[in-house]
Amino acid sequence: MSGDRGVAALSVSDIRKAFGGVEVLKGISLDAHEGDVISILGASGSGKSTLLRCINLLEIPDAGTVTVAGETIRMKPRRKGGQEPADHKQVDRIRTELGMVFQSFNLWSHMTVLQNVIEGPVHVLHRPKAECIGEAEALLEKVGIADKRNFYPAHLSGGQQQRAAIARALAMKPKVMLFDEPTSALDPELVGEVLRVLRALAEEGRTMLVVTHEMGFARNVSNRVIFVNQGLIDADGPPEEIFGGGGSERFRQFVSGLHK
Amino acid sequence: MSLLTILGFGQTGWGGLLLAGAMMTLAVTISALIVGAIVGSLVAWAKLSRNLGWRLFGDAYTTVFRGVPELLIIYLIYFGGSLWVSWIGTLLGAQGFIGLPAFGAGAIGVGLISASYQAEVYRGSFLAIVPGEIEAARAIGMSRMQRFRRVIAPQVMRFSLPGLGNVWQLSLKDSALISVTGLAELMRQSEVAAGSTHLYFVFYIAGGVLYLVLTTLSDRVFGVAERRVARSFRGGLGRG
Amino acid sequence: MDFAFLADTMGQLLAVTPLTIELWLLCITIGCVISIFVTWARVSGVPVVSQLAAAYVFVFRGSPLLIQMFLLYYGLSQFVWVRQSFAWPILRDPFNSAVISLALCTGGYQAEIWRGGLQAVPAREIEAGRAIGMSRLLLLRRIIAPNALRQALPAYSTEIVLMMKSTALASLVTVWEVTGTAQRLISQTYRTFEVFICAAIIYLVLNFLVIRLMRLLEYMVSPHLRGRPSTVGVPGLAEAGIPKAIVPGAPPEHAASPVNLPEVPR
Repeated sequence: MSGDRGVAALSVSDIRKAFGGVEVLKGISLDAHEGDVISILGASGSGKSTLLRCINLLEIPDAGTVTVAGETIRMKPRRKGGQEPADHKQVDRIRTELGMVFQSFNLWSHMTVLQNVIEGPVHVLHRPKAECIGEAEALLEKVGIADKRNFYPAHLSGGQQQRAAIARALAMKPKVMLFDEPTSALDPELVGEVLRVLRALAEEGRTMLVVTHEMGFARNVSNRVIFVNQGLIDADGPPEEIFGGGGSERFRQFVSGLHK
Repeated sequence: MSLLTILGFGQTGWGGLLLAGAMMTLAVTISALIVGAIVGSLVAWAKLSRNLGWRLFGDAYTTVFRGVPELLIIYLIYFGGSLWVSWIGTLLGAQGFIGLPAFGAGAIGVGLISASYQAEVYRGSFLAIVPGEIEAARAIGMSRMQRFRRVIAPQVMRFSLPGLGNVWQLSLKDSALISVTGLAELMRQSEVAAGSTHLYFVFYIAGGVLYLVLTTLSDRVFGVAERRVARSFRGGLGRG
Repeated sequence: MDFAFLADTMGQLLAVTPLTIELWLLCITIGCVISIFVTWARVSGVPVVSQLAAAYVFVFRGSPLLIQMFLLYYGLSQFVWVRQSFAWPILRDPFNSAVISLALCTGGYQAEIWRGGLQAVPAREIEAGRAIGMSRLLLLRRIIAPNALRQALPAYSTEIVLMMKSTALASLVTVWEVTGTAQRLISQTYRTFEVFICAAIIYLVLNFLVIRLMRLLEYMVSPHLRGRPSTVGVPGLAEAGIPKAIVPGAPPEHAASPVNLPEVPR
C-alpha cells in the first residue's frame, strides 16, 4: 500500500448527493495516490465542500462508495431511499485514518490546545497518555505554537487556532488529510502562516485533498488540480496544464472572475 | 353520580363553578400584570438610573421580590394589608377586623412579584436598543419626551414581548397561591369542589387541566403576537 | 422596635430552617435524577417514549405546583387501593408527599434546562469529534456532556433558587417549615410585618448562599472563559507577540448571573 501506484490511498466512486431535491454532487469519482496534493477548486455551491464531507461521511452520499487504502466503507440501502453506513464502527475507524481540518477550526472550546491535540490519540486510539503528550508537543512545535499549549482556543488568533487544528489532525497519524477551505475564515494577514504549514506538509509527502480559493497554493504547491463545476469534475490535471490554458472554458472564466 | 354529571353544568355539576374560577384567575392575573407593568417600569427606570441610590433601590427590590417566597408576600399583603385597613378603620370609628378585598390583595401581591421580573425584562429590552438609533433621534432634534415616545418605548415593547410571555405564565401559576385569601379563583374552586364531594382526585385533575388549557392558550396568543411583531419589523427597511 | 419579639420569632423560625433546607436538598436531588431520565427519553428518538417525556414536561411546567401538591397529597389518599398499598406509609406522611411533588415539578423544569444545554453545544465541536472517529458514546462523554452541563449551569442555578422558594408551599400540606411557622405566628400574634421580615431574611440569606455557591461552581468549570494564562518565561514568546503576565484573572463579567430573566415559570 505504500508507494504502490496500484492501490490508491483514497478512492471515491460515483458520489451523488442531493439536498432537499437539489442535486449538489452528480457523480464524482477520483483517485488520490500516496503523496498527491490535490487542490479542489470551484465556485461556491459547486459541491466541493460537500464532496470532502462525503469522504469522511459527515454527509452521507446518496450513492457511490468511498475506499480508503483499499478498504471500502460498506453501505446498505435505506428504507426511504439512498444509503447508510452498514457498520458504524468501521466508519469511526476509517475516520481515524482521515484527518480533517475545518474552515472554522472547530477546536473544542473547553479544552486547551494540548488537550485538543491529545484527545483523539488518547480517547479514540487508546494510546498511552504520556506518549501522546510527547508527540503532541512535537507537533505543536512543528506548526509553530508550542508556547500556546496551555491556552484555550478563545485566547488564540484565527491563524493559531487553525494551526492547532492541523496539529490535532496530524496527531492521529492519518493516511489522508482533508482540508475544507482552511484559510477562508482567516484575516488576510493570518493566511500566510497556515499556508506555510500546508506547504511543509505537502513537501513531507503527505496525501492531501485541499478545497481552497488560494490560487497560489493550487499553482505552486499542489501536484494536481481538480475543478468542480455544478456537481461534476470539469477539469483534472497538473497545475501547469490546468492553469496554462489546458483547463476548460468554465475554468478560465472561474479564475478570471477570482482576479477581479 | 357519573363523572360527566359531576363535572357538568347541571344542578349537581361543578363545571360552571370551575369555569367561573378560571375566569377569575384570568381577571386577577391580568390585573396583577398591569400592577406589575407600572411598578416594573419604575423599578427598571431606577435600575438604569445614573443615581447610585436609585440603582440600589432597584436591585434591592428585585432581590427581595425574587428571593422571598410568593406565599409569604401574599400573606404580607393580605394579612398585613388587612391589619392596616382595620387600623385606619378604627381611626374612622369602625369596629373590629376589616379584611382587604381578596382580589385586590391578590392582584397587588402577584403584581409586585411580577414587577421584579418585568423590571428585568424592560431593563434588558432598553439596553438592547441600538445606541445609534437614540443618537440619531437626538441629532435630528427630538426632545426627550419625543425620543421616549417615538424611539425608545416602541422598541422596548417589541423586545419585551418574549420576556413578558414568560412573566405572564409565571403569574398565571402564582395566582393559584391567591387561593389562601379565599378568592374564588380556579385553585380555590377546585378545593371547594374537592372538599365538598370528597372527590379530590377528580377535581384537582380537572383544575389542573383547566390551568393547562390557560397556559397553552396563552402560549399560542403570545406566539402569534411575537410573530406579528417580528413580521412588521422585518418588512421594514433593512432590519432583522 | 420590639427586639424581644423579633428575637423570639427569629429563634422559632431558625429552628425550622433545617426542615426547609432538607425539603430543598431532597427535591433537588430526586428531581435531578428524574430529569436525567426524562431528558434521556426526550432525546431517545423513539417516538412514543420521547412524546411521553415531552408530555411530562408540559404537564409539570404548565400547571401550578400547588395543585400538583394537593393532587398528590389529597387526591391519592382518596383511593382505597392506594391506602392499602405498600407505598402508603411513605405517601401518607406530608413531608414525603411534599418532597415527591416538589421533585416531580422540578424534574420537569430541570429536564427542559438540560435540553437547552444540549441544544447549545456548538455543532462544529460535535463535527470535529465525529471527524476524528469518536463513537457516539465517546462523543457524548467527552464533548457533548461537559459542554451541555456547563451551558446549563446558569439556568440551573436559577432553578434551584426558585425551588428554595417553592418549599414554602409545603406549609399548605401541613409541613411546618419556615413559611408555615411564620404563618402560624402571624395568625397568633397579628404582627405581620415583623414576622414577615424575619422569615424574609432567612430566605434571602439562604438564597444568597446558594447563589454564591453556584457562582463558584460556574467559575470552577469555566477555565476557558477566564483570562489568559501567564506566559512569562515561556520560549517563543517573542514570536507569539502577546504581552507578558496577563495573570489568570478574576471571574469574567460573562452574563452568567444565575437569577436572570425568568426562564422558569412555575
